[in-house]
Amino acid sequence: VTGPRFRRLRMGAGHRLDAKASGVMVLGIGHGNKLLTDLHNCHLSKVYTVGGLFGKATDDFSDTGKLVEKTTFDHITREKLERILAVIQGTNHKALLMHSNIDMKTQEAYEMAVKGLIRPMGKSPPIITAIRCLQFVLPEFQLEIHCLHETQQYLRKIVHEIGLELKSSAVCTQVRRIRDGVFTLDDALLRTHWNLQSIQNAIWDCQLKVKREIEKTLG
Amino acid sequence: MAALAGRVVLREAWLPLCRGLCRAARPRSLRQLREADEAAPVFQYAGKAARRKDRVFVWGFCHSGALGIPSFVRPDAGWKKPRRVQSTPYRLETEEKICSAACGYGFTLLSSTTTDITKVWGMGLNKDSQLGFQRSMGDRNKGYEYVLEPSPVALPLAKPQQTRVLQVSCGRAHSLILTDSEGVFSMGNNSYGQCGRKVIEDETYSESHVIHELKEFDSRVVQVVCGQDHSLFRTKKGAVYACGWGADGQTGLGHYNITSVPTKLQGDIAGVNIIQVASYGDCCLAVSDEGDLFGWGNSEYLQLASVTETTQVNVPRHLPFKIGKIKEAACGGTGNMALTEEGNVFVWGYGILGKGPNLMETAVPEMIPPSLFGWSDFNPDIRVARIRCGLSQFAALTSK
Repeated sequence: VTGPRFRRLRMGAGHRLDAKASGVMVLGIGHGNKLLTDLHNCHLSKVYTVGGLFGKATDDFSDTGKLVEKTTFDHITREKLERILAVIQGTNHKALLMHSNIDMKTQEAYEMAVKGLIRPMGKSPPIITAIRCLQFVLPEFQLEIHCLHETQQYLRKIVHEIGLELKSSAVCTQVRRIRDGVFTLDDALLRTHWNLQSIQNAIWDCQLKVKREIEKTLG
Repeated sequence: MAALAGRVVLREAWLPLCRGLCRAARPRSLRQLREADEAAPVFQYAGKAARRKDRVFVWGFCHSGALGIPSFVRPDAGWKKPRRVQSTPYRLETEEKICSAACGYGFTLLSSTTTDITKVWGMGLNKDSQLGFQRSMGDRNKGYEYVLEPSPVALPLAKPQQTRVLQVSCGRAHSLILTDSEGVFSMGNNSYGQCGRKVIEDETYSESHVIHELKEFDSRVVQVVCGQDHSLFRTKKGAVYACGWGADGQTGLGHYNITSVPTKLQGDIAGVNIIQVASYGDCCLAVSDEGDLFGWGNSEYLQLASVTETTQVNVPRHLPFKIGKIKEAACGGTGNMALTEEGNVFVWGYGILGKGPNLMETAVPEMIPPSLFGWSDFNPDIRVARIRCGLSQFAALTSK
């Protein structure tokens, strides 16, 4: 679609997705770029579905890399995997409390903890707030990960480390972002919908949600 | 044309020189990659029957040796320093799988359900022989006052290779060991009759060989609990027996004197089938099979203030809390905790209760929000499974 009104459009991108991952990616157009920075400062968590495969280890932790090692995996059960996930969640919870810079002795900190609102509001290393196993069919498994300040390569590294903890090895086959702050898969536009009308509709639908979230977090 | 011919000649001239030594690396095709993948060797790090070894972790105050790791008290390497506090869990190596552990005031007992001769290990303070008689390596007639490593406790069992130790419990200076067929053994300080035997004037408890066997119960004892200076026994029929110091009414026998023989408790408990007893300091709680809660003992910290204004209650009283059917109760030094069937945790008493810094004391149970135990929309089926109390700390184990 062209025309005199649609030239000189400035576009900005929200949290990036690398070439091997897929999912929701937020773009801002024109005045929306300012909202993008506000959303970034809200530090909302993102949700990924990560698929993994036991038995292989590669150099870049994904299944298209150079093979480093092959191992057996028939000793792995869902219970052992969930135990490792609980350990990961526990250590990340401790890191979450540490990086959110809140004095744990105050009443406000207690009330925020009850509502689950404690999170780091500044720069921090990648933190996983929640992780659980959706499917487990040997040798494949699928995890749902809620995280903050992460990169997709970090998630692939997590899959590799889970494999190591279970005395085997694992590679990541799929990383798919299903939620980025307030935007979920339902709000996302498919490739076939990349036209003006759908874009306008999508912007209109999300305006209210974005405004509410920014008001709630940044006050 | 001439250039082409020249190049061809050059290549043929090169070939004999580098025959078989080096070949240019061409990008391998997908089929070659797949074949290389399949041909790679497979490593096995853990077999199918690999089982996770059961572990014991210790943390806390180290100077009394109660953690069982000698290098915390007496460093065995030059760079190690004696540490006062071990603030994160540290793995303790044990020979057998440990099924029951109890922390006393400066000492610990570990026990396993094996049929070997050594079933109970003790470490820490032994000034009142609460770990039995630990023969000293230097002088065969003397015993150790501090035991720094888990050391076997010799029990006078009639059938040492058949009896199994089910549970151990530790109080301030005495300990109780529950076996499956030979009753309860008690050792340690008996100045208030808490070991269940007659108080002997001026008895020296240190380096004593006395381990008393308790037999005066109506049926088999299934749970033993040590308070600070008293002992509680729960039998299979649902009755509760108590002995020991009673100045705060913690024996629940209707008087404030010491009792040296285990006696059955009456009061609101008489006739009720009790499924769990808990005690730590001077307050005691009992849970019945219908989910009711009974309490007696010290109430200086409002633990029993919902039924009475007095600070010492010497007869078990029913606590009419409307919090649902109670599954488990735990007593701490100044605060109490109860776990209901739905998995909710209620706290009351005095001190840091877990409801924020503003709530320091309450007589009525307050619920701790489940979101603090990991419950959320993402994880809705997490429940608290077990609860325990220390002197000023609470602990809860969740189901996931």
